[in-house]
Amino acid sequence: MFVPENAADLLQYLDSHQTGVHLIANGTDLINRIQRKQVNPKTLVDLTGLSEFRYVKREGGMIKIGALTTISDLVASPIIDSRYDVFREVAMKFGGPSIINMATIGGNICSASSSEDLLPVLLVLDADVQVRSIHGERTIRVEDFVKGKRMTDLKSNELLVETSFSELESCSACSFEKVGMRNSLIIAFVNCAVFLRLAENKLCDEVRIAFNRVNGKIPQRARQTEKIMKGTMLNEQTLANAVATLRNELKLTSDFRASEEYRLEVACAIFKRAVGRCADRLAGEKVLV
Amino acid sequence: MKKLTQSRQMLVVGKSLGRVDSLDKVLGKPIYTMDIVPENALYLKVVRSTVAHALLKRVDLSDARKYPGVVAVVTAQDIPGINESTALLPDKPLFATDRVRFAGEPIAAIASYDASIAEEAVDLVKIDYEPLPSVFSPLEALKPDAPQIHEKGNVAKHLKVRKGNVEEGFKQADLILEGTYKTPFQEPVPLEPEAGFVIPEPDGSVTCVGSIQSPYHVQRGIAKILSLRSEQVRVIQAATGGAFGPKSDEIPVDVLGMAALVAVRTRKPAALAYTREESMIGHTKRHPFVISTKVGVKKSGKLTAWETKMVADTGAYASLGPLVVIRACFHATGPYVIPNVKTDAYCVYTNNTMAGSFRGFGGPQAHFAAESHMDEIAKKLDMDPLDLRLMNMLRPGTLTATSQMVDEGCGLEECIKKATAESDWYRKRRQFQSMTGTKKRGLGIAIMYHGNSLGPEGNDFATVHMQIDSDCKIRVRTALTEYGTGAPSGLLQIAAETMHLPFDYFTLDPSDTEYCGDSGPTVASRTITIGGRATQMVAGKLDQKLREIAAEMLECSADEVESREGIFHSKLAHSVSLRDVVARAYSRGISLKESGTWTAPKCDYDPETSQGTVYLQYTYAAVTAEVEVDTETGRVQVLKMVAAYDIGKAINPISVEGQIEGGTIQGLGYALMEEMIHKNGVVVNPNLGDYYVPTSLDIPEIKTIIVEYPGRLGPFGAKAIGEPPVVLPAPAIVNAIDNAIGVRMDEIPATPDRLLTKLRRTQEAHEKR
Amino acid sequence: MSKHLLKFSVNGKDYAVVVQSHERLLDVLRDKLGLKGTKEGCSTGDCGICGVLMDGKLVNSCLIFAIQARNKKIVTIEGIGSAEKPHPIQRAFMKWNASQCGYCIPAMILATKELLEKNPDPTTEDIKIATRGIICRCTGYLKIFEAVKTAASEMRGAE
Repeated sequence: MFVPENAADLLQYLDSHQTGVHLIANGTDLINRIQRKQVNPKTLVDLTGLSEFRYVKREGGMIKIGALTTISDLVASPIIDSRYDVFREVAMKFGGPSIINMATIGGNICSASSSEDLLPVLLVLDADVQVRSIHGERTIRVEDFVKGKRMTDLKSNELLVETSFSELESCSACSFEKVGMRNSLIIAFVNCAVFLRLAENKLCDEVRIAFNRVNGKIPQRARQTEKIMKGTMLNEQTLANAVATLRNELKLTSDFRASEEYRLEVACAIFKRAVGRCADRLAGEKVLV
Repeated sequence: MKKLTQSRQMLVVGKSLGRVDSLDKVLGKPIYTMDIVPENALYLKVVRSTVAHALLKRVDLSDARKYPGVVAVVTAQDIPGINESTALLPDKPLFATDRVRFAGEPIAAIASYDASIAEEAVDLVKIDYEPLPSVFSPLEALKPDAPQIHEKGNVAKHLKVRKGNVEEGFKQADLILEGTYKTPFQEPVPLEPEAGFVIPEPDGSVTCVGSIQSPYHVQRGIAKILSLRSEQVRVIQAATGGAFGPKSDEIPVDVLGMAALVAVRTRKPAALAYTREESMIGHTKRHPFVISTKVGVKKSGKLTAWETKMVADTGAYASLGPLVVIRACFHATGPYVIPNVKTDAYCVYTNNTMAGSFRGFGGPQAHFAAESHMDEIAKKLDMDPLDLRLMNMLRPGTLTATSQMVDEGCGLEECIKKATAESDWYRKRRQFQSMTGTKKRGLGIAIMYHGNSLGPEGNDFATVHMQIDSDCKIRVRTALTEYGTGAPSGLLQIAAETMHLPFDYFTLDPSDTEYCGDSGPTVASRTITIGGRATQMVAGKLDQKLREIAAEMLECSADEVESREGIFHSKLAHSVSLRDVVARAYSRGISLKESGTWTAPKCDYDPETSQGTVYLQYTYAAVTAEVEVDTETGRVQVLKMVAAYDIGKAINPISVEGQIEGGTIQGLGYALMEEMIHKNGVVVNPNLGDYYVPTSLDIPEIKTIIVEYPGRLGPFGAKAIGEPPVVLPAPAIVNAIDNAIGVRMDEIPATPDRLLTKLRRTQEAHEKR
Repeated sequence: MSKHLLKFSVNGKDYAVVVQSHERLLDVLRDKLGLKGTKEGCSTGDCGICGVLMDGKLVNSCLIFAIQARNKKIVTIEGIGSAEKPHPIQRAFMKWNASQCGYCIPAMILATKELLEKNPDPTTEDIKIATRGIICRCTGYLKIFEAVKTAASEMRGAE
């Protein structure tokens, strides 16, 4: 294991050791996979010493979160106020306190799997990630960064350092819903994140919808459904239209946890609920996490 | 003696005292098996079959043997005695030789001082399998052309109950209703996975330490494997982190047997700790049952006939399957008066992983079917399910399905009345009818009876030893083990009560075959019932001895001595303390040791028809469940449960509540979320991320009601409470779901997927009309 | 696998231990420091009974490489109370018979400690949320909730 104490050392190391290296934040996913013999990494690189990447800040109309910020640090930050309760919704349904005390934002993104609840939320916030190497930095949208199951755009000499998204204005809200076998668990049957921005006249100015799976094995945006809703008035009828589109857009699968038909039905139900929660938040109602 | 203790107010029994092992546990003391493994021990890893049913054409261990750091590799060839590790029938080897029957069956074990080296060596073992035709459904296994898993065929046991004449009974009925009910493999999930270590002693004997329920069962098993006399095998139970059944079956013999082979060969201590995955695959689970029920009932609601066919999947090896099926068979009708009963219960082999002992032992499956069916009958008769139950329930003087007369120790009616009053039965069910919205509420009930102790399952005896040390500490020793039930602490309360001494004078010694006689297995809630009687007997003898010594010191006769709180008084108000009496005994060389074995009367019934006395006493209960069903997601939230148990006498009320609450949550898991899933015999969810047990966020409010109708068997009339609480939650919850949304979940767990699918089908069917 | 020198503090005592790169914090606590109170229940982070406090926060020691605990303050169950003077949380657990088989208890007690430091007057709902990551198979949780409330009350100095 290589244990860097600062970013510069790490980037140098990554540049000169480009194969067989696994970056670990708090190893939650990786240790699991080592236990299950799914992976046998040659060299581990422990990122936990890089405290410079543990922050939540507000800068230039953006919320910026360091990649090594834990989920519990995130929801404890005063910058993540009630407008950003969506992160609390994720934290509450994300295993237990010990898991959120360890799991990092960067670790979640790089795991690139449908069991990472944070990804749908970052997708609907249109978040970016910042990636750094010894040669410089680049910014890439989360949506483009996560390419497939456990596949990201991270090059072997790069480190994910930050994720950022535009601050929520007073006319926009975000929410997250998750359904699984019991009330506290890691892997859901289906989850859903929604971002809603209403114009002055209550028309849907912008709707962004993401699920843990849409058409494949990673969290994605349901763009067809977003398109149908854009510019419409939010009511029973438009929601019903949206659901009809969603039914066609979602291409889900069955496994031993749940069937495809069930997942589809529940996806539609929680989509409506997530939209409802956003609407309630915008109406100034107190929405319980 | 009994009259004396009952006429005065009890000082210890009936009190919610703290358990004797609590302090060590809250301090995190190193008392569990893997905390106390000797320094220089070898660690084993097990080589297991990856296919469900196959001939082993070739098992090549050569690379594993050569792997640096590997100290020993053991297979069936290394067994000096008999290659057998079973719970009941001689059908299961310790190591497979020419054939494997389930995916996960042990084939060999590899030992190293470094467990990770042993694990790496396991990957170097090369096995050639020749797959055999397999069968994974017990109904398929019953067919004549099914692959035969054992020489004697696929039926390990067939049991019958025949009472009256069901054909006549059906003729008398106004309504005949049939139904089929299915239950899953429920995984016990003791939080501590199986573990054990063996120390080879210089004289050729072995000392085995492990996470076990039944030390003598393990002793016999290891002696057989090692070809030793039982006196040469010492078994000590370490603190055990939960058991629930599997640790009383063959698994501890598997674990300690494999470790013993390595220990004996290498002359080094050898330890084996199962991973959670191994534990879930390798140990016994609850038998899945398919139960077909046909009931005849009069318009009035009076039951006339009850016919059941039960088929249990016992997996590749029977374990205690035959006994589980016996219990299920006897309880198949639920606690009702039915003049004509016909039950056939089959324990069937398949190539799934093993089913065996798990808390409830056939009772949960039997009652799931019976109590679900009663609600269906009530619906057809347009009767309130509570009223139907009150009309047909067992009462003192009535006969059970095995024609056993129910005695005065039957509190079933009071349990039902108290549970339904507390849950506001009639009003809430009316209120719930008119609910609108996507979340629907329902209230359901289930009632039970549970035959106490082993009954027909074996010789029911317990041995207890007591001794008083020179510092007046009173030590109680028994091979009945503590693994979370609190029952051994209860034995100390019984001893204290019998001897009229304060509870804190007593201490519990480890369960060690060197110092404790055989007490049978620690199962079936025997500790308080049978162990309690043995404790009363032995404590009584010790008390008598103390009185005799006190009498001599007080210059009166022994029966003139009264003892209270550690002081012995004579009629003339002279007194001596326990300290004085003990000092006297020690100075005179009078032994303050007593032992005794108490044996329960045998159960007497006809082996063909099962008519007669099948258990010596019964625990009765009624449980209600209030649920909220989310009709958009299929998720069920259990809001409140009321659990009324007639347990004869609560030796320690808070401990009893703890058993009821814990068992209720296990039952809730069984109802809604727990299922070991096999695909072609391979378990697909052998981990706690994909096998769901209830968390703190899933639990309802639980109100426990203790009802006391003393039984004839247990001390102070105490009845079993360890197992019963897991039996009723599933039917109560499923009946509540039916009340909420009009859907009969005849298969559990009632997962959100299953529920929503059934709900949609029911709605579509209604729309079509 | 490489070797590293791990310097950290456990229950107030400083340690410098040589650890392998792939060694878990759980293994180092149990096997190298001899602190057996922390348990292994599932190895996959699903049961929570390997919980320890790391800089005051509950973490699953089976999911952390030992070297990741460098310079941290770890508290295990051995750092809470003693036989002569049990901690109020321990006394409350004993009073309520909240420990049955005892295997989840160390983690439950540490979770309680973290909770009560943040929230000295928790509701039942707060307690459920704080303990949701630890599986108990024996008690059905209810007595554990009572024990936490009693401990909270005593620690607040209320009666």
